[in-house]
Amino acid sequence: MMMSPAVLTRRAAPVLACIGLLAVWQVASLALKNDSFPTAVEAVRAIPDILGDKESLTNILASLRRMAIGFGVAVLVSIPLGLLMGRSRAIAAFFNPLLMVIYPVPKAALMPIIMLWLGVGDVTKTLVIFLGVSLPVIYHSFEGAKAVEEKMLWSGAAMGLSPAQRLVRIVLPAALPEILTGCRTGLVLALITMITSEMIARQSGAGNILFNALDMGQYDTVFAMIIIVGAMGICLDAIFERVRARLVRWSEPQFDMPLSFS
Amino acid sequence: MKAQQNGRGSNDAPHGCENDRLSGRLLAKFVPLNVRASETEDGMTVVPARPSEWMSPVTSQEPASAIIEINHVSQVFQTSARKDHLALSDISLTIEEGAFVSILGPSGCGKSTLLYIVGGFVSPTSGMAKIRGHAITAPGPDRGPVFQEFALFPWKTVLGNVMYGPRQQGVRTAEAEAQSRALIEMVGLKGFENFFPKELSGGMKQRVALARTLAYHPEVLLMDEPFGALDAHTRTRLQNDLLNIWERDRKTVLFVTHSVDEAVFLSDKVVMMSKSPGRIRQVIDIDLPRPRRRNELLLDPQYQKYVVDIERMFDESDEAGAPT
Repeated sequence: MMMSPAVLTRRAAPVLACIGLLAVWQVASLALKNDSFPTAVEAVRAIPDILGDKESLTNILASLRRMAIGFGVAVLVSIPLGLLMGRSRAIAAFFNPLLMVIYPVPKAALMPIIMLWLGVGDVTKTLVIFLGVSLPVIYHSFEGAKAVEEKMLWSGAAMGLSPAQRLVRIVLPAALPEILTGCRTGLVLALITMITSEMIARQSGAGNILFNALDMGQYDTVFAMIIIVGAMGICLDAIFERVRARLVRWSEPQFDMPLSFS
Repeated sequence: MKAQQNGRGSNDAPHGCENDRLSGRLLAKFVPLNVRASETEDGMTVVPARPSEWMSPVTSQEPASAIIEINHVSQVFQTSARKDHLALSDISLTIEEGAFVSILGPSGCGKSTLLYIVGGFVSPTSGMAKIRGHAITAPGPDRGPVFQEFALFPWKTVLGNVMYGPRQQGVRTAEAEAQSRALIEMVGLKGFENFFPKELSGGMKQRVALARTLAYHPEVLLMDEPFGALDAHTRTRLQNDLLNIWERDRKTVLFVTHSVDEAVFLSDKVVMMSKSPGRIRQVIDIDLPRPRRRNELLLDPQYQKYVVDIERMFDESDEAGAPT
């Protein structure tokens, strides 16, 4: 398929940005001549070694699995809770102070305690990811549900929808754009808490490879891992964005052109 | 699975007690007979706000039966701590079946609140509203609202919005779709079935909202300043189209507006309200022939007289202020 020059430029722009960043890195590294700052070429060369190594791959997959579970469970719990809070003052009054207390606490700061209770394994790390993802998703679901037009709910009630049906069939879809914004933030936070949790409780995972390499002074591996984690983030976000755009096509701004006809 | 759903839907009829409904209708039929004396020479009825005195059938020969009764409804809102605002004060009103009744008043007179009480969206502080003799406690498909804000489901297409009610009522998809397509055509939106609300202009959205409400066959249409957010041209077109649609099946309509022209043009009866506290000032029968055509009506001296008289009555009352 032929692409117009405008589309071509838009597609090429992110690639150019990445190449630019690597170029600056390369130049800076060559200029500084610091052992702990390998060149971009060295770091990129180390990537196939990591991805070709079975153990490293197992580690990365273990990380992704924890992340997926933590994110998935968080979304499943947080959306209903946020929606209920948005539609019921009593529920909001109960949960709001609790969440206000937890929100500013870095979830990784809770890790030592959770480790004492649940050990250093998967459960602890998944729980930390869960906590990291939950709050933005709850918050955005809450705001989204609160903003749902009363008259829309009344219209549903007049059609015979019960309160529960209204929550699922009106509040949920109406708040979906806002909910998905929260999920997107949550996804990035999942990646961040995943690496942080593995930094604190090393055992397996992408963070484990990174910090072990750091301990051993294998700086090209360290930077290669940073590139890998960054690439994972970009890919996950891009996939999520595709799904999101599909789900909320009806609210996207490209439709913001009303036809002139009464 | 679908057939089962369908069956359940039809069993769950909104009114449980058929006997009560009948007796309510019979009672209402007899009430108006002894209160027809209030009509004046020019066909205009100007009567005080006491329900017993102005309850008269609209213009038809046979006495119409009351479908909605509002009995001594008052609504108090708590504006701030310890400060109460009396939005509606002792409102009593009877709406006859098939009548087009407008509630006209300045903003803040509680006219929308009154409509929401009939809709079951708001519970009155005291008093009671009834439909066919049944107390209104919750919204139901017998009363279909159309709001100024359209309140369409933005994630549904035009067709999806219109089909929503029938599907909820248990109508099969194919049947609901056929009915909805016909309704969409009736409101003049053929070809826009697969558009999302966001792609439509205000006037088109309100057409969809009207079709969506008509789709589940409510007995009463509750229209809350439906054309208030539209430009003058669009508003006139929608008024004309609403009348055309209404004249086909003569559903009962309760229409809230602050426009005197609009109220007179559309209605059989105009309920004038004053504010602080919201009260019924006067109920005026609009005795103009139907079907009404705008270009004829605007030149009709009788139409003009209604408009001028109503505007003057609003001007005369200091506390009410003229509706714009």
